[in-house]
Amino acid sequence: MNILLLLPALILIFIVFVIPIVRYYWLSIHASSVMTGLIPVPNNGSNWLRILSDDRFWQDLFQTLRFTFTSVTIEILLAIVIALLLNQKFQGRGIIRAISLLPWALPTTIMALGWRWIFNTPYGPIEQIFTLLGIGTINILSNPHLAWIATVIADVWKTTPFIMIILLAGLQTIPSDLYEAFKLEGGTEIQSFFKITFPLLQPYLIISILFRIAQAFGVFDLIQVMTGGGPANSTESLGLYAYINSMRFLDFGYSATIIFLTFIILIGFCILGWLLISQSKRFLSSEI
Amino acid sequence: MSNKALKLFFILILISFFTSIKSRSASFKTKRINILMPAPFAESTKPLVDDFNKKEKGLIKLRVTKGPLETEAVSDLAISSLLLGKSPFDVILIDVTWLPKYAAAGWLEPMDKWINTENWHSLANGARLGNTYNNQIYRWPLVADMGLLYWRTDLLEKPPKTPEELIEVSLNLKRKGLITYGYVWQGRQYEGLSCVFLEVLNAFGGEWLSKESKQINLKSKESNNAAKWLKELITSGASPSSVTNFSETESLQAFETGQAALMRNWPYAWAELQKETSLVKGKVGVTTMVSKNGISPTATLGSWGFSILKSSSNKDAAYKAIEFLTSVESQKKLFLINGYTPTKKIVFKDKELKRTAPLITVLEKALSISKPRPQTPLYAQISNVLQTQLSTILTNQITPEKGMALAHEKSQKIISSASIKR
Repeated sequence: MNILLLLPALILIFIVFVIPIVRYYWLSIHASSVMTGLIPVPNNGSNWLRILSDDRFWQDLFQTLRFTFTSVTIEILLAIVIALLLNQKFQGRGIIRAISLLPWALPTTIMALGWRWIFNTPYGPIEQIFTLLGIGTINILSNPHLAWIATVIADVWKTTPFIMIILLAGLQTIPSDLYEAFKLEGGTEIQSFFKITFPLLQPYLIISILFRIAQAFGVFDLIQVMTGGGPANSTESLGLYAYINSMRFLDFGYSATIIFLTFIILIGFCILGWLLISQSKRFLSSEI
Repeated sequence: MSNKALKLFFILILISFFTSIKSRSASFKTKRINILMPAPFAESTKPLVDDFNKKEKGLIKLRVTKGPLETEAVSDLAISSLLLGKSPFDVILIDVTWLPKYAAAGWLEPMDKWINTENWHSLANGARLGNTYNNQIYRWPLVADMGLLYWRTDLLEKPPKTPEELIEVSLNLKRKGLITYGYVWQGRQYEGLSCVFLEVLNAFGGEWLSKESKQINLKSKESNNAAKWLKELITSGASPSSVTNFSETESLQAFETGQAALMRNWPYAWAELQKETSLVKGKVGVTTMVSKNGISPTATLGSWGFSILKSSSNKDAAYKAIEFLTSVESQKKLFLINGYTPTKKIVFKDKELKRTAPLITVLEKALSISKPRPQTPLYAQISNVLQTQLSTILTNQITPEKGMALAHEKSQKIISSASIKR
């Protein structure tokens, strides 16, 4: 009976998740490109041989990891601070909470276009500010060593509210009498954060970190609009590389290989992250 | 529901039923053609499209879908619609480099049945290139386009002819303080850089994809010299270092404001330089790209043409529209108003045009020496590899020799792994 109740959900997952992934795997062991007239032809795993020696793939993987971990870390730290602030009682709290969600509500392409202009040389405000400060032109979007930082800044601006709202919901589930009791025992505010807030917030942190890692790993629209992957491919993400291969090069076999390998790597990272977090959780709970 | 309301509802249904019958019978007679064009072309051909619709008196209704401004964005739009099966377009205006890819994917209708030998030979020599794949015609050109060298007639007596001369005159003029930049071109990592490089490579006697063996030929003395020369332009000061971020727009901006003595650009720049806002109006000459002594110069061919989609249900009407839009009369109008380079021989010989727009003679010569980029369905990949390596060379991340060797290996790998697939 239990399984019967699960069935609709399982069927849905099968249709929108299992079938596409199996299809990607199947395509990855075929050649399906303009050279085959877009008809899939088995090619003895030559896509897989190619991807192992394709340094552009590994460079993009490095860039995607760098982007994911930098932006998720900054977002989590910022979101904790903002959530704690917005959990306080003050006048106009409702309005401020609503406003702080705005970046998350904006479509990514629009906000990415905005950031492209903010970083534009010589017309963007960042450039103007730097010139006023006497630092001079930095031309961040055409510098292969710096451009990725600009994309991280834009991503942090956009997705911090998302984590913040999850954490804020978590904070509201913590009963206030815990803090009162802790205070009576002589605990300080800072101690109460590490002894009460942080441990009780953990499930929410884990959820938001996993959500964000999965999302940031597949970043596409932000990069496509802001830099198009350049300069010198320095900001190209795996999502963008897969897209270029299918839409520009019409090489669906190789594009599917990129997507499938990315999927495996992402699953690996999620399992690793889960293990690390549950380890630290056990460690923390034993400490309490 | 009241009785009245029910009656009204019934009448409404009847009306909509009859109007649908009427419109269906009308569409039975009218053949609807939908052409996808990049935004600038949709704008410039608008009067011609109106003329055509007037002339056809409702038998054929031509509609132009105005695509995005950027070339690659148009390609993305076209490809998405084609991949989904039945495309809403009958004809697409395509770039010369897309043709082998689209034809190999089986999306295009061969046009041989409409185009006879006489038609074919009405095209100027360079304009015939880049329209065929596997010996079948898949595209009919609307406008020819090729790389030109613009020079300042008030600063120079004659344009430079060789690569060495180009650097020398640029440095000379800079030393005299007459200009801030010497020679401006397209150095950003994008398709324009491949076009620039192909001209320089030919000027040094090299080739990108060898004609006979269909093999990449970038690991050669000639291509090293070509890459070295491009880098030398920047290191010697003949070109500004910001040229690595220049596309056509930035190059034109620098030349138009009188900051540069020489510019590599497409024919459209001529019309821009003749506007009142241009500071160099009346001081500009046009010629073909420099080349080493004993090697004839070339111009990279970039042209746009119409292809009929296999999925179109009105192919004959579509060809009729193409015929009209590319007719001699239309080409004259497009040249005079928009500066579009004609593709038919006879237009270049037009006495009136020769008198009013002497540029046509230069265009004719440039078109006759123009060379297409490698005609392979894998062009987008190998050009992407070349652009990346050239950009790393020009921004000093790698030596020209190493960069060219890498470009060679990577492109070769793409070609050979594609042939395994077959």
